[in-house]
Amino acid sequence: MVKKKVCMLGSFGVGKTSLVMRSVKSIFDAKYHTTVGVKTDTKLMVCNGRELTIMLWDMAGEETGAPVKINQVRGAAGYFLVVDGLRKATLDVALSIQQRVEGEVGKLPFLLLANKADEREQWEIDDVAWNDLRQRGWTILETSAKTGVGVEEAFTQLAESLLKGEDGND
Amino acid sequence: MATTSGAVQSPLSAVPGLLGAAVFEETGNGQFAPISTLPEWLPIADNPVNLGDQFPVMELFRDEFEAVWQQPEPARCESDIWTEADPRGGEQYLQALASNAGGRRLLIIRALPQETFTRQQLAHDLELANERAERATRAKSDFLAVMSHEIRTPLNAIIGMADVLASTGLTPEQKKCVEVFQRNGVNLLNLINDILDVSKVEAGKLELESVNFELRDVIARAFEVIEIRATQKGLRLLREIAPEVPAYLVGDPNRLRQVMINLLGNSLKFTERGSLTVRVERDAQDSYLRFAVADTGIGIPQDKLGRLFETFSQADSSTTRKYGGTGLGLNISKRIVERMNGRIWVESKPGEGSTFLFTALLPAGGPPEEQVLPASPITLEQSTEDIGVLLVDDSEDNRFLFMAYLKDTPCIVDLAENGEEAVRLFRQNQYDVVLMDVEMPVMDGYTATREIRKIESTRQDAPTPVIALTAHAMADMADKAREAGFSGHLLKPIRRAVLLEALAAHAKPTHARQPAACTVSVDAGMEDIVPGYLEKRRVEIDKYRQALAGGDFESIRMMGHKLKGTGGGYGFPVLTEIGGKLEELALAKNAEGLRAKIEELAQYVNSVKLEFKR
Repeated sequence: MVKKKVCMLGSFGVGKTSLVMRSVKSIFDAKYHTTVGVKTDTKLMVCNGRELTIMLWDMAGEETGAPVKINQVRGAAGYFLVVDGLRKATLDVALSIQQRVEGEVGKLPFLLLANKADEREQWEIDDVAWNDLRQRGWTILETSAKTGVGVEEAFTQLAESLLKGEDGND
Repeated sequence: MATTSGAVQSPLSAVPGLLGAAVFEETGNGQFAPISTLPEWLPIADNPVNLGDQFPVMELFRDEFEAVWQQPEPARCESDIWTEADPRGGEQYLQALASNAGGRRLLIIRALPQETFTRQQLAHDLELANERAERATRAKSDFLAVMSHEIRTPLNAIIGMADVLASTGLTPEQKKCVEVFQRNGVNLLNLINDILDVSKVEAGKLELESVNFELRDVIARAFEVIEIRATQKGLRLLREIAPEVPAYLVGDPNRLRQVMINLLGNSLKFTERGSLTVRVERDAQDSYLRFAVADTGIGIPQDKLGRLFETFSQADSSTTRKYGGTGLGLNISKRIVERMNGRIWVESKPGEGSTFLFTALLPAGGPPEEQVLPASPITLEQSTEDIGVLLVDDSEDNRFLFMAYLKDTPCIVDLAENGEEAVRLFRQNQYDVVLMDVEMPVMDGYTATREIRKIESTRQDAPTPVIALTAHAMADMADKAREAGFSGHLLKPIRRAVLLEALAAHAKPTHARQPAACTVSVDAGMEDIVPGYLEKRRVEIDKYRQALAGGDFESIRMMGHKLKGTGGGYGFPVLTEIGGKLEELALAKNAEGLRAKIEELAQYVNSVKLEFKR
């Protein structure tokens, strides 16, 4: 069975752990819980008829004075950049993390998850910002760990990219 | 649960602070055997165990740990902290340590106390809660801006039509009725402005100016507002400015006046006899002034003094009904004073009166710059030339109102109901000024104005003044209007006098009024050279246009300078004037202004006729 390491990266409080919980355990807890260090979880998937084990590395959110430890991304096959649509600053953090990952680890497949889609009407980040990134070739998916919207689609899309990369290497 | 015992005292005691930790020794090939009693949070099924499988995070530290184990000298190394699910529920925050104590390959895993991370959790909780609160405030502010717009639009029609009605022949009774409309309309408008001010402060959008102003002038203008009501009550208005207070200050005169008006208005409300006094003296702190507004009114009970400056707070809720007002004025004053780095407070004795005091950081300044007035002293109503106006507003009431305002003026008005219609009319006709509502169906005012600017640019026309008619009072609206290409904006409700003043300032009747071809007398002896001079100026027009297109401001400046110096001598003072303007505009690199001036020059040199004196 193919086994892949996938990191959850982003600012603190954007919903990385909630997305993992939604995806792996189909549960959502509205109470915010800070992730300490990194927490791993396993998600089994079948993608294009192939079984795949995703080792999810849910990493502590970046905050002032405590940047994400990019060295922990080493060995990953891809990553999710998670942004809280309600907080514009979390997009800036995501952009910065993406640059650092690319600089220190190299180009890896990633998806930007615009999380908290259930509160879309109050989003601080507007479509102009998303469209700018889409024009740069980024794939952006709106997700809600609360309702589950977009979460499985996000994992499927990333898994497809990971397997495609692997096929390419064959 | 796998347990084992062994001679572990020696290595554990060599690694302090590890009581309750799980100690393993590597048995080879990445396998580890526990050599201490394992804690409950760490169930291990196999012995030896592959800790890399048990804890995937271990891959991060493997190389560093290996380096420690291979060291001949005693060494140890700690891993980053990570989180594992606790089989009993909850989570454990773990840390791994590698030690080569006693020459053994030891790996210790310890659980860190949960309390260590409580502070981090609280800090995150607090920051997220603050951001949520700020979002809610912004949402409220946006809501207020929208509501303000919705209220101002009909209010524009009500106050405006009352003004129009008041200027018609009315019986005394009818006049009184209209005055009620006018007064209450203005009261309602003031209330909306107060609410907006509060929302501006809460949204962090209250900007203060920093300009030179005259203190006496600010106080006099504040008195003007309450003078009539004070006189009606028989109250005296007094001003006492200490000699050490500078005559001129630097700050925001309008906001200072607003605070004074709020305090004076408040004092006026609660004072039936005596006087209202504004006192200004230097505060103990440098550059700070202390202002006092003292009255001889009913005073405020001691226990109510503290709450006065809170939003929606009056000393007594029944006060609102008896004396009117919302209490917003004092809250806004407090916020403005705080933005001026000062503080506000009140001293009062029931039955004797109250004194509202505030300090503000207002350094000494110089005399304010004179306001630049429109060049023409002729008012719109006195103008004898037609002015082509394109009026764009989706509200039928507002169109009717503006038409009523412009009755008996030289304005010839075309009407459009939305931006699209306005752009179509603009393409077909030429206007001296466009009055453009901002929010309209089909095409809004911003888009329509951008379209108009594009048309002008294609035609190489000078920009037509486009005045935004807006009910949005938030400061960022003005920026948005400027960006879209508006020449100015008027805030609804718009009074007739304000509209006419704006039209007089902006509208240059170049389209409705083509300048009459003027005739210049050529003195005897000049008949041989003047026509040639004029012809050269005609030819030069293309050079101006080319230089402008190429951004060559220096050439335009030089040609303008030459024109200024020669025009008058050849009998064309108009050319001297235009030349001077061209020089100025070129120096300022004002392309739009130059485009208009060059066209004015072209029109003049192509239409001027020469008359030869005999």
